[in-house]
Amino acid sequence: MYGLNAITANNGLAIALVGITIVFSGLVSLSIAISFLHKFLHLYENPKIFLRWFSEKTKTQTLPPITSDQRVAVKQFSLLLNKMPSHFSLPRLLHLAQLRGIKDPHSHLSLLISLGAVFPDHDGFFCWNHETVDHILQGVRVKKKEKIQ
Amino acid sequence: MDTLFLDFLQNTGFFLCDYRNLIMILVGMMFIYLGIAKDYEPLLLVPIGFGMLIGNIPIFKGFGLGIYEKGSVLSYLYFGVTQGIYPPLIFMGIGAMTDFSTLLARPVLMLLGAAAQAGIFITFLGALALGFTPLEASSIGIIGGADGPTAIFLTAKLAPHLIGPIAVAAYSYMALVPVIQPPIMKLLTTRKERLIRMEEPRAVSKREKIIFPVIAFLLCCFLAPAAVPLLGMLCFGNLLKEAVVTERLANTARNGIIDTATILLGITVGASTQGDVFLTRSSVGIFLLGALSFAVATACGVLFAKAMNVFLKIKINPLIGAAGVSAVPDSARVVQTVGKKEDPTNFLLMHAMAPNVSGVIGSAIAAGVLWSLMV
Repeated sequence: MYGLNAITANNGLAIALVGITIVFSGLVSLSIAISFLHKFLHLYENPKIFLRWFSEKTKTQTLPPITSDQRVAVKQFSLLLNKMPSHFSLPRLLHLAQLRGIKDPHSHLSLLISLGAVFPDHDGFFCWNHETVDHILQGVRVKKKEKIQ
Repeated sequence: MDTLFLDFLQNTGFFLCDYRNLIMILVGMMFIYLGIAKDYEPLLLVPIGFGMLIGNIPIFKGFGLGIYEKGSVLSYLYFGVTQGIYPPLIFMGIGAMTDFSTLLARPVLMLLGAAAQAGIFITFLGALALGFTPLEASSIGIIGGADGPTAIFLTAKLAPHLIGPIAVAAYSYMALVPVIQPPIMKLLTTRKERLIRMEEPRAVSKREKIIFPVIAFLLCCFLAPAAVPLLGMLCFGNLLKEAVVTERLANTARNGIIDTATILLGITVGASTQGDVFLTRSSVGIFLLGALSFAVATACGVLFAKAMNVFLKIKINPLIGAAGVSAVPDSARVVQTVGKKEDPTNFLLMHAMAPNVSGVIGSAIAAGVLWSLMV
């Protein structure tokens, strides 16, 4: 028997396909394994990297109890912040807060900063966190991640 | 007295000589010439060539001298070939000589070694189409792996009657790598591709090199257990080399053992090519298919490298795909030579060694797979 008939009769195509697939799988799995090998060894040789991963603690911070006046002020600030650009200057926010007649703007802004609702962008401006403000207004606990070096 | 003299004359080689013995003696002399004068794989071609001279001295059958005669010295030495003893010993020596650093530095190049093995399976189909049995076709296909010991090992297991032609074809084509591969490489690549410079591989730690043979052996042999004799010895030899504390054993493996095994394998394979056994129609078919196998394997490696470049950000020189055939280090040297012709300052040898050594692993897996699928 010759030609395609011989190949078909001896199940040649299936054998060839299975064969090349196994060879490829073997070498692909080996290449994947050895591509990670040096990374694992790096971790093994520098166990501090591991420790750093596991030392990332999740701390639950409880909001300090806030008064109804403070809650009203935070709500007014949130309305104001909604109209501010994403990065704003603190004096401008204070100025607008004074113009809108928000009571004790300095102390309330200080409260927002201490709770993480308003935070510096390290470029001289400030941003605000919608979620944290919402949580303050709802009186829920805020989860804050702290990295211990 | 006349009768005695006549009897003696009738037992001489001159009287018993057949034209087929003469052809094989000429082939053997050509092998010796190519090995010594042209430096084509001399460590293989010289023992095989001289083995051909030994095997083709016309002898009176029944004296217990021929390699195929029971109890002859040559048949005992040939036992190591037919039982697949020498190839794993050679693999241990290869392992003890091979540095897998470039492969460890850029594991993605291992895929080129896998792609080149496609030649084995394509030739397997070709051999089936030409009327060979599946066992014979598997043994012929493995020539495309460009790995003499692997070809002999698999043939000894599947089609022992073809060891002579397959071994001679495999080693001949291995010796002819510098002749067969360059035209295919040039045909399938553009000048721009041949000029691609590869990025420097990262430094590989000793610990990685020690762990690699263990991981490679476990992973590959769990997938294809029939590859254990070849891969096991290859990885063991490499572990001896990298472990440093076993330097004495590594030295013996890469010097004494591999040399002894190569001499015995070469001389007995050569002696097995007796004209009346070797010069058959099937041998011609094997030689043709062997050349096809080699060419297809080279082409598959180059084309796969080109395909990889479509997805890779840092391009690889597709010439190194040709080194996926496991003729170590000849095909890597060919890549260096072809690349250097285009740009004398482009050094590809180091990069080509990665697919080259992965080709050795790939062909051993392919042999194991074929063995397990056929038996």
